[in-house]
Amino acid sequence: MRRRIGAALIATAVVTLTACGGGGGTSGDPAGDDETQAAPDGTGQTLTVWVDETRMAPTQAAADAFEEATGAKVELVQKNFEDIRADFLAQVPTGEGPDITVGAHDWLGELTQNGVVSPVEFGDKAGDFTDVALEAFTFDGQVYGVPYAVENLGLIRNVELAPDPTPETFDEMIAAGQEAGTKYPFVIQVSTEGDPYTMVPFQHSFGAPVFEQNEDGSYSSELALGGEQGEAFAQWLADHGANGDGVLNTSITYDIAREAFKNGETPYMVGGPWLIEEFDGMDLAVDPIPSAGGEPAVPFIGVQGFYVSAKSENGILATEFLVNYIGTKDIQVKMYEAGDRTPALTEAADEISSDPLAKGFADIAADAMPMPSIPEMAAVWTFWGVTEAQIINGDAEPAAAWQKMVSDIEGAIG
Amino acid sequence: MSTPHTSEPVTADTHRQRSVGRMFADVGWRHVVGIVAVIFAAFPILYILSAALNPGGTLTGSNAMFSTVSLENFARLSDTYFWTWLGNTLIIGVITSLGTVLMGASAAYAFSRYRFAGRQFGLTFLMVLQMFPQLLAFVAIFLLLLTLGEVVPFLGLNSKIGLICVYLGGALGVNTFLMYGTFNTVPKELDEAAKIDGASHAHIYWRIILPLVMPILTVVGLLSFISTFNDFMLAKIILQSEENWTVAVGMYGWVSDQLAANWGQFAAGAIIAALPILALFLFLQRWIVSGLTQGSVK
Amino acid sequence: MTQPEAPPEERRSKRARESHATSIRPGFFIKLILMALINALGVYIILAAWSQQSWIILAVTVFFVVLADIVYFTKRMLPLKYLLPGLVFLLIYQVFTVGYTGYVAFTNYGAGHNSDKADAIAANVMQNQRRVEGSPALPLVVVEQTFPGTDLGFAVLEDDMVKVGTEDQPLEEAPDAVVEGTTIVEVPGWNVLSWSDAVARSQEVTQLRVPVSDDPNAGSIGTQDARTGYAYRSVVTYDPETDTMTNSDTGMVYRANDRGQFQADDGSTLTVGWRVFVGAENFTTAFSDQRYSGPFLKVLAWNVVFAIASVLTTFFLGLFLAIVMNSERMRGRKIYRTLMLLPYAFPAFLTALLFQGMLNRDFGFVNQVLLGGMPIAWLNDPWLAKLAIIMVNLWMGFPYMFLIATGTLQAIPGDVYEAAKIDGASGWQQFRRITLPLLLIAVTPLLISSFAFNFNNFNLVYMLTGGGPRFTDTSAPIGATDLLITMVYSVSGLDGSASRNYGLASALSIVIFLIVATVSAISFRLSQKMED
Repeated sequence: MRRRIGAALIATAVVTLTACGGGGGTSGDPAGDDETQAAPDGTGQTLTVWVDETRMAPTQAAADAFEEATGAKVELVQKNFEDIRADFLAQVPTGEGPDITVGAHDWLGELTQNGVVSPVEFGDKAGDFTDVALEAFTFDGQVYGVPYAVENLGLIRNVELAPDPTPETFDEMIAAGQEAGTKYPFVIQVSTEGDPYTMVPFQHSFGAPVFEQNEDGSYSSELALGGEQGEAFAQWLADHGANGDGVLNTSITYDIAREAFKNGETPYMVGGPWLIEEFDGMDLAVDPIPSAGGEPAVPFIGVQGFYVSAKSENGILATEFLVNYIGTKDIQVKMYEAGDRTPALTEAADEISSDPLAKGFADIAADAMPMPSIPEMAAVWTFWGVTEAQIINGDAEPAAAWQKMVSDIEGAIG
Repeated sequence: MSTPHTSEPVTADTHRQRSVGRMFADVGWRHVVGIVAVIFAAFPILYILSAALNPGGTLTGSNAMFSTVSLENFARLSDTYFWTWLGNTLIIGVITSLGTVLMGASAAYAFSRYRFAGRQFGLTFLMVLQMFPQLLAFVAIFLLLLTLGEVVPFLGLNSKIGLICVYLGGALGVNTFLMYGTFNTVPKELDEAAKIDGASHAHIYWRIILPLVMPILTVVGLLSFISTFNDFMLAKIILQSEENWTVAVGMYGWVSDQLAANWGQFAAGAIIAALPILALFLFLQRWIVSGLTQGSVK
Repeated sequence: MTQPEAPPEERRSKRARESHATSIRPGFFIKLILMALINALGVYIILAAWSQQSWIILAVTVFFVVLADIVYFTKRMLPLKYLLPGLVFLLIYQVFTVGYTGYVAFTNYGAGHNSDKADAIAANVMQNQRRVEGSPALPLVVVEQTFPGTDLGFAVLEDDMVKVGTEDQPLEEAPDAVVEGTTIVEVPGWNVLSWSDAVARSQEVTQLRVPVSDDPNAGSIGTQDARTGYAYRSVVTYDPETDTMTNSDTGMVYRANDRGQFQADDGSTLTVGWRVFVGAENFTTAFSDQRYSGPFLKVLAWNVVFAIASVLTTFFLGLFLAIVMNSERMRGRKIYRTLMLLPYAFPAFLTALLFQGMLNRDFGFVNQVLLGGMPIAWLNDPWLAKLAIIMVNLWMGFPYMFLIATGTLQAIPGDVYEAAKIDGASGWQQFRRITLPLLLIAVTPLLISSFAFNFNNFNLVYMLTGGGPRFTDTSAPIGATDLLITMVYSVSGLDGSASRNYGLASALSIVIFLIVATVSAISFRLSQKMED
């Protein structure tokens, strides 16, 4: 119970703080007063923005407002999310890339290492964003993007099948799931190649984070997922895998898990806010993920936002668009409505917290650990999921496979 | 195994009342093979069809096919740029395949009929060049079109002509060899005879050789059309604005994000996009299965 | 082959005789018109390139236009008349990609070395700017000096006092300035730029730094939105004289080294580097990584087996079906043929994803419906995964071979069979002795191409199995179905599993290319010799 009280306290504190901020905070903000002035005019200028399909509609809304207010044209170029990073890195140096692109916070390490993004100066507006969102876009003391949403996993519960709040431990949850009498007591996607992002809350509950954390909360490059805690988690995977009770199954992919939950074949599923739209019409609740190893099962938190190109020739317009449009409550709420991800702007996050599901995810986010964005993380992803899948399949001896994984990652990091 | 050309039309027509066994030996088994092959080719497609008809469906999530049947996904295509994309794709595909056939066939003709210095090298060079792993094409092609576009905008980025030109860069590829091989099977005596009659090289090429290899030209055109239709690696680099996209680029975007994948709409689009290809093939078959044989059998 | 088709030849040459005199004229006019268009286009490009000062494009265009005129207006170079059009496109678009890859192979293009030196310097300076601690956000307008120069400057409002300055002239108080609310409206001696004017000069404005005072530690004012100014301090500065960057906080001096980075004496470097030539280094590192040299042979062996098996299975199935469908007495052939084309009419990436679902061990269509619920681990078992890859490739690839076989079969004169029939050859003998040899003349180069294509069939493997199941006895991320090309993709970090190294990727893809090209060129030469 300790953790949930903590989350509630933080949520209350956040509400109180923003209440104060909303009352008297804007007077020091010159940009705010400027609205009364002659409307800014950017006629004849074009701002190119890369967005993916999911972010298209809400960004379009912001762009429309911007075009109307400034006369500048915003050209939204739709790209596949997975292509954006490589294309941005390749195209910015040619001067042909976009002014702004949508992106995830864990790209930050690579984007700054290659010098393709510009810092964004929020001035006093920085305080308007949730801490975790702003920190995720901070590198070496500077903020490199405007966060718009945070996302994290939670335990989605079918209230009809399991009316009571999810128990606090994994075993109790499985027991409750079995009582529900459905085909599966609980589903989680694993897939042939493993899905460590979805599995990491359980790993955290064994006290085995991926990297050690520095005092300021940022990650050091020292691996922490090995040792006794890590091996205990590996054993847990095996216990619930093919040679155990079969709760974890590499055949269960995202699609299969989603369909199973949708068809009422399970009361519990580990999933993110993007699933809510899929389960339209169902009576749902979002609970914290139950602990498997005794410690809190906190998920990774991912932050999405917009980066400004280091070679943008429209720096002023880009800043204006991001800070005074994307970074405003109305647009952030609109973006929430398009993708169900918790807004990064505190004011907008509060507005949507009247929705119990959104609040469920947001409460979990309060304790969650940011997904590491340090370059070493790439090597971890390469070995992590496959090893988990091998252990779950019973193809490898858990402790030995886990140790080998740690040494392989160390080898890859060099 | 039987011959490709059963050449007993007379007997087949006169002896209508053959035993069922003979009938089967002649044609029936071919139907059995045909049906098995069609099932093999089509059963995964049923999955796609099922997904297309199910408004909230996934592609791989369940085996309960055709549990819901609705045309909603097809209707929703009109809310997207799908039809524009399809139009773009058809334009790009047709021009590219025509260009590929013309340029590929003339190159194949040169390699097949002339002996010139560097011929062997040229053939080997062509053969080998297309094997180059294109891991970096996405950077190289972008840079090239960026540079070209600064001088000649219609050859640059976000231009259909630019994309067609890139595709035509591959015109002298695999397909040239297919045509080259077929040209080699056309007897040289034909050219010789025409030459004696005073025909120019252009005349021999356009009026004598090309009509004879019509089947393979049609096949090459179709192959090039299909590969243009399905390409999205190059197209997505070059065509930037949504209204310029091809079907493959646009539809890939619908499913590239697993979490937001719209498989139903994608499947509906894929089925519609496959129809022009099938229709084209159905229509072109008489050119594929005709030509030389028609002239020579009787 | 020995009995040429007398009737068509006669007929065609007769037509040739008839049309000969009249056909040359229109042909010549078409040629003239086409050449006129090409020359016009050429001149347009040359002029455009001239005004853009793109000398390379200009030179290439001049070369090709002159070449085209020579080739088409002289009697010599007959083969080139037929080769030139395709060759032009090939040289521009294909060869450039190869050349670019070759160039990159000798550089350290990749993570941390993404652009040129000027970009790297700018990025290092930008990333090391710090807001002066405790400095306020100041309302700001962009101003332009009216006399003596037209320098751009900033006017800021600090403690109800307007201060104005330029890059060379630290902020000075401007007591006569007019302020409305928190906005500076007028500064005597300066022209206040409207926001939209400032936007139009975005780059100048965002790069401008106006020193707060003569004391460099007080920082300089900069702005990102042309409305609010902040005092920044450049922690790292560049000195072009000595080609060094200096950190003013630590006093550390970073020198440009030949690895494309700014390096201090203690070995530490600044974050952003630039692209430099590194010689053959990428080629040597490609072979020196112990983690990869072990499984390399395993991967190569599977790669060869896969490529050969892909060609053989698709070719023989396609050929078999083409022959079966080639009976003129069979009804509905058109429909059969069209339906067989189905797998080819759907996008390849869709196929891979579709089969990934259908081959799922516990839920897939293949196991559940076709095999009655047998839990066969198609994608988890090394051998089954290999089989699955070949089967899926067969499904995707047989229509291609079917089409080609159908097309080339038509080129075989029917008379040949007549002759064989009379000699009493059986169906199988006809196939062995006549069909197959003639067909192989036409398709051998194609089979070699197909081998090469499948040798590098990146998409299928990457999307169906991702190279898995992973070897359990190696330390590198390599699996049982990995091809060399997918291995390169992960080794060089292009899949995001390590830091991106385009230099290494290029070097490795050239190595693979040399392997495939040698094998193909030799077998192609052999097949040509057999033919001649």
